[in-house]
Order: sequence, then structure tokens, then C-alpha cells
Amino acid sequence: MAILETVKVSFTYPDQLLPALNQVSFSVEPGEFIVICGPSGSGKSTLLRMVKQEIAPYGERSGEIFYNGKKLTEYEPVKIAKEIGMVFQDPENQIVMDRVFEELIFGLENIGMPTETMRTKLAEMVHFFGINHLLDKKIHLLSGGQKQIVNLASVLLMEPRILLLDEPTAQLDPVAAKDFLHMVKQMNDEFGITVLIVEHRLEEVFPLADRVFVFDHGSLKISGPPKDVIAKVWQEQYRPLFPYLPSTALLYLEHADNLQIADIPLTVKEGRKWASQLKTHQSDTSFKKQENYNEKQNPILQVKNIYFQYEKTGKKILQSLSLTINEGEWLTIVGANGTGKSTLLKVMAGLESPQRGKLIYNGKKYSKPISTDIAYLPQNPKLLFIQDTVRGELIETAQQFHLENYEEKINCLVELLGIQSILDRHPYDVSGGEMQKSALACVLLPQPKILLLDEPTKGLDPEMKVALGKWLKSMQSRGLTIVMVTHDIEFAARFSDRSAMMFQGEITVTTSTKDFFKGNAFYTTVVNRMTRDGNIPEVVTVEEAEEKWGSQKIKN
Amino acid sequence: MGFSENQKLKKQKYKNLLIAGLLILLAVLLIFVPLLVEEQYMLASILFMVCSFFPLMIKYEHKKVTSKELVLIAILGAIAAVSRVPFASIPSVQPTTFVIIMAGAVFGAESGFVVGALAAIVSNIFLGQGPWTPWQMYAWGMVGFAAGLLKNTWVMKSSVGRSIFGFITGFLFGWFMNLWVVLTLMNSFNWAQFIGFYTASFYFDLAHALSNVFFLLVFSQSWLKILKRFQKKYGLLTAYG
Amino acid sequence: MDNGFRSLHPFVIFLYYVLAIAMIMLYQHPFFLTFACLLLVIFNFALDQGKMLKKWVSMMIVLSLLFLILTPLTNHRGNHVLFYLFNSAITLEALIQGLLNALTLIAILTLTITFNYCMTADKFLFLFSKWMPKWSLLAMLSVRFVPLLNRRIVEIITVQKGKGLSVTSGPLKQRVKHGLLLVQVLLTWSLEDGIQTADSMSARAYGLQKRTKYTPYKLHMNDGFMILILTGLTGTGIFGWWLGDGVLTLTPFLEPTILYGREWVFFTIYVLIIGFPLIVEGKEAIQWQYWKR
Repeated sequence: MAILETVKVSFTYPDQLLPALNQVSFSVEPGEFIVICGPSGSGKSTLLRMVKQEIAPYGERSGEIFYNGKKLTEYEPVKIAKEIGMVFQDPENQIVMDRVFEELIFGLENIGMPTETMRTKLAEMVHFFGINHLLDKKIHLLSGGQKQIVNLASVLLMEPRILLLDEPTAQLDPVAAKDFLHMVKQMNDEFGITVLIVEHRLEEVFPLADRVFVFDHGSLKISGPPKDVIAKVWQEQYRPLFPYLPSTALLYLEHADNLQIADIPLTVKEGRKWASQLKTHQSDTSFKKQENYNEKQNPILQVKNIYFQYEKTGKKILQSLSLTINEGEWLTIVGANGTGKSTLLKVMAGLESPQRGKLIYNGKKYSKPISTDIAYLPQNPKLLFIQDTVRGELIETAQQFHLENYEEKINCLVELLGIQSILDRHPYDVSGGEMQKSALACVLLPQPKILLLDEPTKGLDPEMKVALGKWLKSMQSRGLTIVMVTHDIEFAARFSDRSAMMFQGEITVTTSTKDFFKGNAFYTTVVNRMTRDGNIPEVVTVEEAEEKWGSQKIKN
Repeated sequence: MGFSENQKLKKQKYKNLLIAGLLILLAVLLIFVPLLVEEQYMLASILFMVCSFFPLMIKYEHKKVTSKELVLIAILGAIAAVSRVPFASIPSVQPTTFVIIMAGAVFGAESGFVVGALAAIVSNIFLGQGPWTPWQMYAWGMVGFAAGLLKNTWVMKSSVGRSIFGFITGFLFGWFMNLWVVLTLMNSFNWAQFIGFYTASFYFDLAHALSNVFFLLVFSQSWLKILKRFQKKYGLLTAYG
Repeated sequence: MDNGFRSLHPFVIFLYYVLAIAMIMLYQHPFFLTFACLLLVIFNFALDQGKMLKKWVSMMIVLSLLFLILTPLTNHRGNHVLFYLFNSAITLEALIQGLLNALTLIAILTLTITFNYCMTADKFLFLFSKWMPKWSLLAMLSVRFVPLLNRRIVEIITVQKGKGLSVTSGPLKQRVKHGLLLVQVLLTWSLEDGIQTADSMSARAYGLQKRTKYTPYKLHMNDGFMILILTGLTGTGIFGWWLGDGVLTLTPFLEPTILYGREWVFFTIYVLIIGFPLIVEGKEAIQWQYWKR
């Protein structure tokens, strides 16, 4: 019997014309691992919230949801709250207590468990997760990844039968995301917990999935085993859903002659097996032609021998760091957590003053923010907004910088970004992508020469990422210089010109993005790991493959 | 809206006025009775405090509160405590009282009281608990409570009214806070010493009162708007007061 | 893990502070109060080498000086007139009264500092969670938000600097205005994100039934014994106060400051109560020495 079944579930938010969910029917067997994907606003989160009835949204609903054959509403509320657990996107915001220990037992206290039982359960869980060393720690001293693990453990302590996860790794760095997903998979494998996960890290979750549900515009478009779903999206040419396919599969679909569903690679291992059969039909020399990274060598911003630490006795964040940014380029800075990437960006923006070293912009030294020339977009755009409409924010920003005929400038920028429709809304009430665009509009209003971006793709869906990348590319062609700090190597590989690696407060390598990733053994894209050391030209992205392989008629 | 609805509103209004009247009376008594009944003044004032404070605490303790209400109150309490941070470089100016007044003015007397009392507990957890904690809880709690009671009256609706309210509460707050010293030394306290001590704190209280007025004049409109937006968003706390 | 005095059950710790405050307030005698201050300063040093004490020293000096000066100026009772200031008598009695006031305040404040050290927030909230579970949950939630909000406000201050919102430079009015604008950003941001916190609470069954509270502290035999000792000592102490011992009589006749006969007994009890944590710490230190051998 299905553990979860929905029958024609529809839902419409108040004051909305179109339903957020439209006649969604499916059933899930116990122990299944279901991946739910689709564009933002396609109803994925709404669906999870409908299943998790304590936080069901208000609005017009129809259809029924069954848990173990009985309607959800027929169960004792406490039982159902226990047995259907949910982990949310933001690791920080779902934490309620001050210390890890108290956070873990929060749910158990809510269901009225006596102290002794709590102790036993906790002892078990702590042992299984290996988080003994975290127990007495204050929450604010944990990393994002650790917080999310605590959130997962806290939900699992209530012994759920179904685990709902709403983009649980969107705010994590790749290493923490892997750890987290691994733990979810372990729960699924070893305890048979049914998992429904909304996720955008397709390369990571597709190999784990038993079935994939693809949502679009509130309805369940396609469902089935991952390879079938991929094949179907491809064959039926659901173009808007292409960004939702893992890049291993995309590469295969674009370049395989004889499409076999069973051969669609989901992992790098499978991908390499297929790629090893590929042969090039032209001579070696033609594709050895190095792509010439156009080094205009016109430095616009120079960081010279910077030292920085937050406190006198604290850790040194930046050490004798030097970096030159050339006019018109798009530079990516990558590196592990805590290597000082974000701090470097703040120093370049003039927001933090280094203890030693020089900052030179256009040949002039500076130590304070010059926002009219160097714009900075923080990781979380929320902290930029003061006014209660996007328009108000733009006007206020224009006045702050004493811009002349700003209305024209605002209109122009708004049109470029395509945010006309949200101008009179509260900046917090719009979608993540739109909020970021509004923030971009604000920082770009004084027409700066340089744009500094901190993790611009965090929390964006694949489609929005591509749109953002293309938009920034177009701004670059109008003369904007871009410096970006990111963990998203796929995004960096696809859009940026030059990449730098940060390690222990220093820049270690700086070279053209393509060479950068081809030179890295571990820190590189999935596509690169799939195609290196083969008989074919090594590529970094699907787009590069299209360009390079297409002209060389690669066949298998 | 029916007739009975109208009557209910009227009744509610009278009830609020009655409570407000009692509260002012209480505050006046609390300040001045100690001076009149010289022998038993501490006992008398503690009695007054207990009578007005604990019922409110216990009432909230037994109220059914949703998770959203709880989080909203907790955040407001934390904001009231953290709001000192940007003012670290500006001595004796801090917007905690302003935050509490705003909370009361939007979410009503009970919530205002809870935010005020909570702000005192929480900020003292980080700055140091002491014999002043209960007095601070009481003082800020009552500021929030009063702001909530007056939310539909001229006092909270006009900017002049709000400024007067902020000015008075600035002083009252300081006076209540000083009471911990009075209590500690109650065996020997006398009139003249009392006046002397309170004059010594006059400038601090004045700075507090003036900064309240400034904040209320410049920011109360935008804060009321923001808080009302969240009141709607959280879908709560509309029924009371 | 805590050791010594801090490892006792929070209730015992709390009881000590209540009783110690009572003792300090009752025994208004310079000799007693000086000793109390001395013991409490030692206790402070035993806990953290007096680091916290240093932070509070200025406030103590201001308050005690205030009363040292204020009391003789406002109180003119007593037979021993020292001199006249602006036509009013400054008496020895009033001067001693001022000294008593100052010493009491110093004793209370030094005691308070150790309270913050021994009675951590979670112990404090645990104590109240028995009687007021909702308030204590609310306080815990709020305490959880403080470091988060703190980090956010620092981030806001940094980023908004780029938009020209400075709190460190410019005219005062503008700085104050900017300061509150930053708090306003914090308010909007945090309330927006708070909805997720509330959801996460509901998702973990909050509000569906009566909560239990995890009890991390057990009342051991040792704790019971300590409660017995403390209440016994204080009972005797209060009896002594009722007899009029350990209180310096100022009016109508000034009593000599030197202790006599029975007062020494009550002084010993007073020292035992105020010095209770030191005795517990000392006992443990001696035991450790013994174990090491």
C-alpha cells in the first residue's frame, strides 16, 4: 500500500487567479526516494506544505491526501506531525534554540516525552550522526552545513516515516551539500524512511532517486525513474526544463548518436564509460588550437599586498594578497569556506579597511567605499533594502548618490532587468530572482565601472542562474567589469573569463577559466571530470562541448 | 456591523480607559506613596508592583499562543536588546524603549507588556543580571502595556501625543530603574536622600526621554507601517485592545 | 563541565544568592559589610581572576561615592557633629550611614557579578521553566535570536556604509537617524525570516499538546544537604539580627564599632553564609590535592 497518495490536489493562494497546484495526483511507496524538480513557482514547495499539514498555506484547496490509506485529516495531529517530518531551505532560520542539545530535543519536548526517554533517543541519534562534539555548542558557532545536519537530526529524532526536504542544500557550499545528501540517503537506505526532496543540485540527487517528479506551472508534468524522465523531457522537447537535467545527461543527449535510455549517464562514472567510447574523426592538431583568452591587460583595480584581520588578536583573514583586475573582464574567485573570499570582496568595495596594503582604482588610491564606481552586491540582498517598494528604493538610492535625471536612468535599468511589474511591490514580497534583480538595479544605478558579486547564484534555480549569467554577460559587453566570489563552479565555468583560487588568505592561481578548471584535478565541473583523459578534446561545460565537438563530428 | 458589535467596541473602549486610569493611578501611587508612608514604603510599593505585574505574567503564561506569535514577540524582544549595537558610538542613546512602544502601539497592551519584560530579561542575560532586572522588566513591561492601552487614542494616533508619551516614559523608566538602589538601602532611606539620588540621575533620564521623542517623531510612521505589514503577514494579534 | 560551586543544582545556587542578599541587607554593620565585600571579591577572583569585576568597578565607585557624599548632606541626625557645611550639620552618624550604604551597594554588586558567572542563562531559565514554561521558552527563543541579530546588524552596518549610512561620522542628529534606519532594516529582515522559524516550530509539533521540559539537573543528596546547611545558617543569622546583633545602632546613641561577645558567634555564621561558595570551592580543591597523591 502506498504510504502517501494525493488525489487531484489543487490549491490557489488568496488573491491569485492561477492555481499554485493543479490536479496533482501521485502515490509514493514506502521507502522510495523521490526527487521533485521544476522551475521556481511551479508548486513544489506548496505541495510539500500541503502534505505537512501543520504549515499548510491558507487558500482555496481541493482534492485529498492519504497517508497509509487514511485521509491526513483523520489522524491525531500529534501523530501525523511526528510521522511526517520536514527540513527547510535556510539552515539558520529553522533553528529555535540557543544550543545544539536543546535544539535536538525541541520536537521531543513538544510531543510531551519524559526526560529519560529523551536521553535514550538522543544518545542513539548523536552516536549515529557522530555529532557528540557539537552537543554543548552554541548554535551561532556552527557552520551552515553543521546547522543543517542538526536540523535533520532534530526532525529524525521524532522518528518520521516520511521526510520532506525543501531545497535543503540551497544555502550550503558543495562539500556540506554532499555530506548532507549523503546522510539523507543513508536514512533512506538503512531505515527505509521515505524521502521527498525538492532539490536543484541535479548532479547530486538524480543518481540517488528512485523516481523523479517534474513540476511545471502547478502540475505534475512527468514522473518516473530518473533516466526515463530525462529521456522524456528530451524527446518531447520541454525546452524550459532543459536546465533541470543533470549536465552528465545533457552531454550524452546532445552528442550520443544512438539514444539508449539505459545508457543515459547520471554519475561521472557512467559518463566516463560512455565518453571513453567517443572518438574524434579529425586530426589532433586542429582542436589543440588554444582558445585565446583575450587579455586586454588594462588594469582597472589593483589590490596590493593586503593584510586583514577583524580583531587585533583574531585570525589573519587576508595575508599579503595581491590581485589585479582588468577592465572589462569577468573574474571569478573560488575557494573553500573560510578562506577569506567574502572578506576580500568587502575590502575591494572599501567596506572593510585592511591593516596593511594598498587599493588602487584607476590609478588612484582609495580606502573608503566609492559606490558610484565600485558596486557591491552582498550575498543576501535583503540587507540592502530600506524602503517599502522597489521603486522607492531606487529613487532613494538615486538621491543618495545625487544622480541627475535619475528617472530616465531608473527606467532604463528597470527595462534592462525586466522588473517593471514588481516596481510597486515590497522588495521582500517578490521571488528570490526578482529580489536579486531589484538589488542589482540599486547597486548599478550610479553606473559603476566594477560590480562585485558575493555568491550571486545562491538559492537560485537553474533557469534563473542561466538568465542571470546571460544578463551579466550582456552588461559585461557594455563595459562592466565583474568580480564574483562563488562556490558554484558550474556557473563560473560557463560565464566567467578568468578564475582565481583562494587559499589561506592568499590567491594561489589566476588563469583563464577554461584552463583553470582543466588544470584542477578535483575542483572542477562534472563535465570536465567526465571528459578528461579521453580520446576527445577535454571540455568544461556542455556549451563548450557543443561548440568544440560539434565542429569536429565526434562520434561513438 | 451590528448594534451589539458597536456596543461591544464601546464597552471595550471604556474597559481600556478604566485600565489606563488605574494604571496611571498605580504609577503615581508607586512613586509617591513611598514618600508619604515613610515607614512601610518599600512594603507598600512592592505590593503594588506584585499586584499589577504578576497577574499579567500569569495571564500570558496560560494563554494559548501560536508559534508565529511566539516568534514575533521573541524577535521584537531580541531587536529591542540588539538595537543598542549601532548606537555604541553615541552614549546614552538607545532605541530599546522606542521599539517597545512601537510593539505595544501595534500589537496591543498584552503583547507590548510581554515584549517589554522580555527585552529586559534578554538584554540582561547579555549585559548582566542583577537586582535591577525585575524593576527593568516591570518598567519596560509597563511602557509596552501603556502604549498598547492607548493605541486607539489620541496619544498613540498623533505624533504630538506619541512624543509626550515618549518623554514621560523616558523619565518614568529611569525612576523605576533607580528603585533597586532604594530597595537595597531601604533600612536607612529618607526623603532628602531620595530626591538627591534622583537628581543625580536626571541627565541620563533626560537624554533617554529626548531620544525617545526624537525616535518617535522621525520613525514612528515607518515603524507602524512595517509592523502592521507583519501583523497581516503573520495573520495575528489583531483581536486585543 | 562545571565544578565546585557551579556544579551544584541551580536551585541551591539561586538559594545562596537570595539568602546572601538578605544577609547583606539585614546586617548593617561596617565590620560585617567590609568582610562580606572582602569575601565576595575573593570569590570573584577565584572564579575568573577578577576580570568581570574590573568591568564593573567604575559603576561601583560612582554609586558608592554618590551615597558616601549624599547621605551626610541629606541626613542630619546624630549627636556627633563634625562640622557645618552651608549651615547644616554634618554628623559622624550620617557619615557612617553613608559608609554603610556604600558598602551595601558594593557588596550587592560584587555578589551580582558572581551571580552572572555561576547562574548561566540556561540554568536561570531552567529554574523558571518549572513555574513559567511559556515565559522561559519565550526567553530562550529570544536569547537564541540575539547572536543571530547581532551578526545581521554588523553585516547591515558594513554594507549600508557603501550607501553612505554612517553612524560614526557626521552631525549627531544624522548619526542617530542612520542608527535607527539600520535597526529598521534589521527589523524587516528578521521578521520576514522569522516566519520560517515559526514554521519550523509548528513542523515539529509545537502547540499541539502540552510540552514537557527536559530536566538536565538532578537534585542529588549533596544538594539537599547544602540546602539544609544554608537554610539552617540563615535561620540562625536572622535570629541574631532579630536580637539586634550585627546592626550598628546609630541613633539615639552611636554604638561602638567593635564586636562584643555574642556578636562574634553571629559574625562567624555570617561569614559562613557569604563565604559558602568559597568553602565549597576550597573543599573541592583540597579533595583534588588529596586525589593527586
